[in-house]
Amino acid sequence: MKSKTVKKSIPNRYLDLEQWQTDRRKFLRGALLAGAMTQIGFFTSCSTKLKEGNDLLTAEQATILNDVLNIFFPNDGNGPDAEDINAFGYVMWVLHDTLNRKIEDNAYILVGLNWADETAQEIYFSPFVELSQEQKEALVGKFTELDWGKNWSSMIITLILEALVLDPIYGGNKNEAGWNWLNHTPGFPRPTEENRYERIMEKQMKLVK
Amino acid sequence: MADFDCDICIVGSGAGAGPIIYELSRAGYKVVVLEKGPWLKTADFTKDEMTATRRDAYTPNLEEERHIVVKKSSSGNWTEKNTADGGSDLWNGSCVGGSSNFMSAYFHRMKPNDFQLYSKYGPIDGANIVDWPIKYDDLEPYYAKVEKVIGVSGKVVDHKHQEPRSTPDYPHPPLTTNIVADWFVEGGKKEGWNIVPAARGIISEPKDDRRACYHSNYCGSYGCSSDAKASSRAALINKALKTGNCDIRPLSKVYHIATNGQNEIVKAHYYDADDNKQSVTAKIFVVACQAVETSRLLLMSKNEEFPNGLANNSGQVGKNLLFAGGGAGSGYIRFDSLSEEDRNKFDVPLTFVNQALIDFYEIDDPEFGGKAKGGTIDFLIEHSNPMPKVFRSKYKNGTLLYGSDLKENLQDYFTKQKRVRYEVFCDWLPNDDCHVSLDENVTDKWGDPVGKVKLGYHEQNLKVGNFLADKGMTVLKNIGAIKVTKSITGNPPTNLMAGGCRFGDDPKNSVLNANCQAHEVNNLYVTDGSFMPTGGSVPYTFTIYANAFRVADHLIERLGKEA
Repeated sequence: MKSKTVKKSIPNRYLDLEQWQTDRRKFLRGALLAGAMTQIGFFTSCSTKLKEGNDLLTAEQATILNDVLNIFFPNDGNGPDAEDINAFGYVMWVLHDTLNRKIEDNAYILVGLNWADETAQEIYFSPFVELSQEQKEALVGKFTELDWGKNWSSMIITLILEALVLDPIYGGNKNEAGWNWLNHTPGFPRPTEENRYERIMEKQMKLVK
Repeated sequence: MADFDCDICIVGSGAGAGPIIYELSRAGYKVVVLEKGPWLKTADFTKDEMTATRRDAYTPNLEEERHIVVKKSSSGNWTEKNTADGGSDLWNGSCVGGSSNFMSAYFHRMKPNDFQLYSKYGPIDGANIVDWPIKYDDLEPYYAKVEKVIGVSGKVVDHKHQEPRSTPDYPHPPLTTNIVADWFVEGGKKEGWNIVPAARGIISEPKDDRRACYHSNYCGSYGCSSDAKASSRAALINKALKTGNCDIRPLSKVYHIATNGQNEIVKAHYYDADDNKQSVTAKIFVVACQAVETSRLLLMSKNEEFPNGLANNSGQVGKNLLFAGGGAGSGYIRFDSLSEEDRNKFDVPLTFVNQALIDFYEIDDPEFGGKAKGGTIDFLIEHSNPMPKVFRSKYKNGTLLYGSDLKENLQDYFTKQKRVRYEVFCDWLPNDDCHVSLDENVTDKWGDPVGKVKLGYHEQNLKVGNFLADKGMTVLKNIGAIKVTKSITGNPPTNLMAGGCRFGDDPKNSVLNANCQAHEVNNLYVTDGSFMPTGGSVPYTFTIYANAFRVADHLIERLGKEA
C-alpha cells in the first residue's frame, strides 16, 4: 500500500521504489562503515546562510536545489555556471508551469530535494544545508551512482541543460550565455510573449478557442 | 444543397485532405472541414523547442487521448503499452494542416515498380504484398500537379532509377545547401555511386502569398514562419478559404459516421470546442485523419448495417498498417580534420543537404536471391535545435556526466564537430501483425475506445535496411566521418504511417476501390495514406498529396454528373 501512496507523486518512469530502497540502504550502510565521512558533519558551521524560500519551496529546499544545480553545473572557468544561466530561476518557472502535462515530474523534483536532505541527515547526522561544500559535492556525486539518485539527478541535469539552451524567454539561458558559449545559432523567429509555449498550449488544450 | 449542410464533408485537414479541400472549393462546391486540433496560424509558429518538442504543444494530451501499442518484447512475447505511460506516441500534429505543418518535406516520387511490387518481385513469405490497382502512369500527372500547385524545389539529375516525368524539371530551383552536400556526392563517386539532388516540398522562391525559404535553422518538427514549407494549411487551405466555399471547423472531433441503411453516409457526428455534440450532413464524406485515426474512426462507426465498423463487412479496416521501413545512422566530422576554408563553409547555420543515393532502389545481389526491392538513402546534417545534442552529451560510455566533465562534453559536441547522418527508407512490408483495432478497455476523454495498434514487422525490412545502411556508412566514412554507426530496427518511425484501408479491385481483401471510394459505402472516400497497400521506399507525403489530387478530380467529375 505504501508504494501506491508514493506512486501518486512520482512518475512511473522514475519509480522503482524497491530498487531505490535496496540501493539506498546499501549506500547508507557503506557510508556508515566507511566511518570517516560521518565525522565531518560535526565540524561544520551552524550559521549556514539559506537561500530565500518562495511559494513552492522552503528556504531549506531552495538552498538544496541551488546547491545541487551549482554542483552539477559549476563555476569551473569553462563557460557559464548554473548561476550564469539562471538555472534556479528556470526550475522555478518549470515548477510553476501548470500547463505541463507531465505535472507529476514537478512533484518528483520536490521529493528528490527531501530525499537529499534525508540522506544527509542519515549519513552526516546533519541537514544538507549545514554540510561543508566538500560534503555536499561528495553526497551529490554519490546520488548519480545509485538507481534512485541516478534518475533524479538525470532529471535535474536535464533541467539544467534546458536552462542552458532553451529560449531565454523561459527564464534560463540568461543573456544567451548558453548559446554564446556553445556557439549556437538559434532558429528564427524566436518565441515572443504572444506565441510562447503557454499561448500555444492553451489553444491545444481548448482553454482559448 | 437544401437537403445537405454542404457538398462534401472532410474529416481531417492534413496532406490527404488539403488537395480535396483546395480543388473542391475552387470548383464551386461547399466544403466543411472537421479538424480535431486548433487552428494555429503562421504567426503562431516559431522556432521554439519548448513548444515543439519539450512540451509537445502541437499534439493532444496523452492522458486524454492515448493509444495502446502492442509490441513484441525481446523475449518474444507480445506486450501492451499505454502511450500515456511514456515513450513514443502516435500523434504527429493535431491542428489545421495536421502533421504536414511539421514535416521535413523530402519529396521523392514512388517508382513504377512500387505500383507492382507483387508482379515485379514476387511473393515474400509472411508479407501481404499486392499490386496497386493503379499504375505509375496514372499518378504521374498528379505528382507533376503537386510540384506545380504546392511548390516543390529541386533539380532532376538522371540516375539509373529515375522515374519517367511529364515535365523536365521541378518548378522551383534547388534550395541552397551546406558544402557537405558536395562532399557526399564525392563520397559516393569513390564507390561508383551516383548521389543526386533530393527534391523538397519547400519553395526556394516566393509563390503567391508564400515567401521563399529563408533558412530558419530549425525545420523538421517545426512549423514554417514563411509558409515556404508546403503544408496543407499554407499551400492549399489558405487558398481554398479565399473562394468563400470552405468552412474550417477546428476543435471538432468526429466520433461517429452514421449511415442510412442503404450503404450511404448521412451524417458525421462530432464534439465541438465545448464538447457539445454536433453533426454535419453532406453528399460526400472524405476521411483523412492519418492512418491510425482513420481506421479507428471507421471501426468506431458501428451500426446495424456495419456491425464491425463502417465499410468493414470485409474485415479489412485497420489491416496491413504500414510505416517506413529502414532506419538511420550517423558519424561525426571533426573540425580539426578540415582545412580552415572547409571548416568555415561547413560550420555555418545552413543545415540543408538534400542529396540522396537511389542507385539501390533495386537490389541485385546473391544474398537476396537475385533482384529484390531496395530503397532510398537520404543524407543530412543533424538538426540544429540543441536539445537532442545536449542529450547526446549527457552520458559518456553509459555514465551520467555532471560538473566539469559534463561541460567539457557539451563544449566538444557543439564546437568541435558536426554530426552528419543518413536515413534509410525501404518498404515496410504489410503483414498480419501490423494493424489497428479498438481497445476493449481503454477510452479517450470522451469515453470512446482508443486505437490499439499492433506493431509487428517483417524481417525483410531489416535485411534490406541493413543492406542500404551499409552503403550509407560507406559514404559517411568516405567523407571523413568518424564513429560511423547504423541503427536498423523493427521499431517504426511513427511519423511515417500509411495503410489500414488499402485500395484494390477485390472487395474481399481491400477497403477502397481504385478511386479511394469505399467498396461498401457509396459516398465514403479515404484520402490520407490509409489507401496504400504498399508504401514504396520513400516518405509518404508526396504520394499522399498526389493521390488526393487524383481523387479530387474524380469527385469533381462525380458531383458534376450528379448535379
